[in-house]
Amino acid sequence: MFHIPIPIDAIPQTLSAVCRKEVKMNTENILEVKDLHVDIHMTEGLLTAVRGVNFEMKKGETLGLVGESGCGKSLTCKAILGINDKKCKSSGQILFDSEGLGKVDLLSLDQRGQEIRSIRGKEISMIFQEPMVAFSPMYTIGNQINEATRLHITKDKKKSKEISMEVMRKVGIANVEKRYNQYPHEFSGGMLQRALIAMALVCNPKMLIADEPTTALDVTIQAQILELMKELQKDFNMAILFITHDLGVVAKMCDRVAVMYLGKIVESADASEIYANPQHPYTRGLIGSVHKIGSKKEERLFSIEGTVPLAMNLPKACGFYDRCDVRIEGLCDRAEPELTEIAPGHKIACFNCPHEACRAQRAKVEAALNGKEADHV
Amino acid sequence: MEDNAYKSESMHDGIPKKTLLEAVVDFFKKDLVQYIVKRILMFIPTLLLISILVFFVIQLPPGDYVSAHIAALASEGEFVDADYAASLRADYGLDLPIHEQYFKWIKDIIWTPTDSTYYRLYGSHHNWKYSFAYGRDVWDVVDDRLGLTIAVTAIIMLFQYVVSLPIAVYASTHQYSVGDYISSIIGFLGAAIPNFILAIVLMYLSYKWTGNANVGLFSQEMLQNGIHLYNFGDFLKRMIIPIIVIGTSGTCGIIRSVRAQMLDEVARQYTLTARAKGVPERTIVMKYCFRAAINPTVSGLGGVLSSLFSGSTVTAMVLNMQIQGPVLFKALQAQDMYLAGAIVMVQAVLVVIGILFSDIALAFLDPRIRYSGGGR
Amino acid sequence: MWKKKQKTNEDYYLASQWTLMGRKLKKHKLAKLSMLILLLLYLGALFADFLAPYSLDEFDALYKDSAPSKIHFVHEGEFIGPYIYKLEKNIDRTTFTVTITEDTSEYYKIRFFVHGTEYKILGLIPCDLHLFGVDEGSNGGTGAKIMLFGTDALGRDIFSRVLLGSRISLTIPFASAVISFFLGVTIGSISGYFGGAIDIVIQRIIEVIGAVPQIPLWMALSAAIPPGISTVKMYFYITIILSFINWTGMARVVRGKFLSLKNEDYVMAARLSGVSTWKIIWKHLVPGFMSYLIVSITLGIPGSIVGETSMSYLGLGIKSPATSWGVLLQEASSVTDVASNPHKLIPIIFVTITVLAFNFLGDGIRDAADPYK
Repeated sequence: MFHIPIPIDAIPQTLSAVCRKEVKMNTENILEVKDLHVDIHMTEGLLTAVRGVNFEMKKGETLGLVGESGCGKSLTCKAILGINDKKCKSSGQILFDSEGLGKVDLLSLDQRGQEIRSIRGKEISMIFQEPMVAFSPMYTIGNQINEATRLHITKDKKKSKEISMEVMRKVGIANVEKRYNQYPHEFSGGMLQRALIAMALVCNPKMLIADEPTTALDVTIQAQILELMKELQKDFNMAILFITHDLGVVAKMCDRVAVMYLGKIVESADASEIYANPQHPYTRGLIGSVHKIGSKKEERLFSIEGTVPLAMNLPKACGFYDRCDVRIEGLCDRAEPELTEIAPGHKIACFNCPHEACRAQRAKVEAALNGKEADHV
Repeated sequence: MEDNAYKSESMHDGIPKKTLLEAVVDFFKKDLVQYIVKRILMFIPTLLLISILVFFVIQLPPGDYVSAHIAALASEGEFVDADYAASLRADYGLDLPIHEQYFKWIKDIIWTPTDSTYYRLYGSHHNWKYSFAYGRDVWDVVDDRLGLTIAVTAIIMLFQYVVSLPIAVYASTHQYSVGDYISSIIGFLGAAIPNFILAIVLMYLSYKWTGNANVGLFSQEMLQNGIHLYNFGDFLKRMIIPIIVIGTSGTCGIIRSVRAQMLDEVARQYTLTARAKGVPERTIVMKYCFRAAINPTVSGLGGVLSSLFSGSTVTAMVLNMQIQGPVLFKALQAQDMYLAGAIVMVQAVLVVIGILFSDIALAFLDPRIRYSGGGR
Repeated sequence: MWKKKQKTNEDYYLASQWTLMGRKLKKHKLAKLSMLILLLLYLGALFADFLAPYSLDEFDALYKDSAPSKIHFVHEGEFIGPYIYKLEKNIDRTTFTVTITEDTSEYYKIRFFVHGTEYKILGLIPCDLHLFGVDEGSNGGTGAKIMLFGTDALGRDIFSRVLLGSRISLTIPFASAVISFFLGVTIGSISGYFGGAIDIVIQRIIEVIGAVPQIPLWMALSAAIPPGISTVKMYFYITIILSFINWTGMARVVRGKFLSLKNEDYVMAARLSGVSTWKIIWKHLVPGFMSYLIVSITLGIPGSIVGETSMSYLGLGIKSPATSWGVLLQEASSVTDVASNPHKLIPIIFVTITVLAFNFLGDGIRDAADPYK
């Protein structure tokens, strides 16, 4: 609407492009998140919702981010794109292998600037949980999809409309000419989610972040959408960061899984490994609470005791201490375990794990704690 | 929740030729057109109800119109005999049962036939009866000030929106900034202080500072020669206090409402989607948030108009403005109910027209309204 | 340690809607201040007879149009405590101009709990105690009057009149708000709950009443008040007139809420258990958006205050012997009058403060009731 021909924000952009340091990334990876913290400034105090998250994504793979509501999954993903609320401050490093800007730390870019806008929607796209509210009711679906096309691909009216309609066909929307000029309230839930996917994919992004895209849909539509996403991933060769709390969906869609609890990753491994061999007590609890076909009728449904605590003014301890059934008093309530690799591709953060690397970490921490005690005595 | 069947007649990919009749039918099937037609049709029963309400108000004071008229004449020293009074009563149909009186009143307003006394006397087909407080035909009195009333109201309304909308958008996008707080405080004060009190205070202050009580919309000179380009500036100067007094409370209301709506909209999911697409902030604010946020403001246009008429009535008396307010007051003091009723009716009808326009504007703005047929 | 933290969190989650609202409201400084101010104002109205040194009909021609009494503390070098001088008229023999000055020969101490004009507590028990006033002068003279806010054109104490007038100015809007509330909720709930033709008709009526500009309509309705009736009846008529229009806003809101809530499961459950429609409306549905209604009432009262004040100012509302702030403002209508007697603007301060207080309080309650903040 207010189109200023001279890109005023391009001036700081070119300056920062010149000053930017080249970041080092593993060539296999499309995304590397290092020590990500997200602080929320609330009236009651500072809430550190994401307390040091580390993970990587390889090009073209699907990583599932699993966890209960409130563990910080959405905040992590929104931090990648920089679309968190003004009250949230992110710190750490988010390294992304982009086409337009090369290998870049997304957090070093001005969150309201031109550079990160060239990545949003074009190289990293995001789809959301409730498609019904994800579109503005004032404009047609076609107009909103086309907005992405015109922003990133071409300003030519005819060409951009063709491209938008083409991607709508690809996601399986029938009668595209009619649908293009319809408003969101004339679409059903499943159709809207397809339109949302179309809007995200129209610019051929290298990475798609899917924040619980099927939670609001009924089961049959869910299956259809997941099938569609798998197909499109193959066609477009993109990586998908799939956030969900549904382990069934994880099994179907993901190559690798990272489990989050209270703002930290507690375990990450290949999907098959996580199901076959969960190590962290929380993961074991999650897998255990999924009701399996064939279990006895009189068995009590398993659930993990307690609820997720409020992540404010957390003491230095393992976040899962209160609900853990294998906690070690004197250790787990005084120190936090770090993510350590116990097998290739399988990382875990727990003191009680019997593997070599974990035992080594536990010994080191215990020594440090005893040392502190000795100082006091 | 499968796909809604989109109801439309033949829609092949190869577009067939349509006949003129089909095109006309198509036009009327459009959501927007149907909605507009519906709203215009609903206008009529609303008008009728207003006329009933006004008639009820006219009948309220104790005694009837003729006795009030006679009393007014008596106070001027003219005495009326019983026969004349009786003929007046018959003329006004005051002997008829009340619902017949109402129909007579409405009929006279809508169409007085050419062969009636009224038409011969005044040359008009619309008989609003006689005002003894002013000694003239009622419509004559109303018409006298109608133009100015509409003009003043329009100017104030324009002022309100031009000032309040930018402030509201700024306040919402720069929440908790100094500008936001200042506009909130001014908003409060403006909305809280009653109009005529503000008028009195401003009048007093202007008197203290300028040494002359600068009241009245027209100077002596303007009353004689009318408004032209050279004295338009003087007219605007005189409009300053009325605009501030009558317009402030509305402005503040609009600022508060639009700001609250904008804050709501900015937090919505679709702004997040737009941001994730890479749309620049300014575009998000204006294209998406603002258009959605002014939804209640547009639908409140009629209410703003109503409160403008309301606020200007008492203020006009304090500031000696030549609009309809003081006329209404004089009519009520004299219990000249036909004149009072006519003024109230005219203002109410203007408000309803305003509501009609705002509904149509809303339908253009928000596609959901057309679809659901309007959820007023 | 963890367990205790969880317990306080649970308390928070399980607290009732009203406890939560109360807690939030306590944090809102402006709302608390407003509540305090309103409490003081209403207490003032309640004890007006006692707090005001003079009654409504007491006047003194000597004191007409006089500025507020100056309170002195030191008389001829001596500290005596608060006192005033009596006014005296001086006519200049040559120019025949009248000047009013203070007679400094005698001082009149301001005493507390004096005996003054008689009044009746609650209209029943006679009493003549006033909070403060002036009695005899230092030399035994009488006739001094303490006019904290000055006097009007007839020599009546404005301070007393403001206090006594607040009885009407503060209670009429409140009473009409309560009536509007019941009218609005009843009609709105019928409209929303039953829907269909009833809804359409009621909606049209609401639209019509809302379209007619308020103050002109009020003025027109007030022409119907018969002249020379008792104060109580006049009070009653005006309250009814004010509520006549205000109920439409509430009815609209209630209807909207009902339209969306009536299809909820708990309504169906109540109906299936045989609960009467009336009970469903008042016991099940209305409490759901009670907080919104409270906000509406609180924010609607300023409108009624302005309405009553406007009407009385024009002479269409409260008429003597009763008085309200609007009547007091009649004296402030001409510029020259106000210029020479700015103290006559004082009732404006009271009206403004009351309206602001209700606005801030309403805003505070609305913020407290908002679950998303």
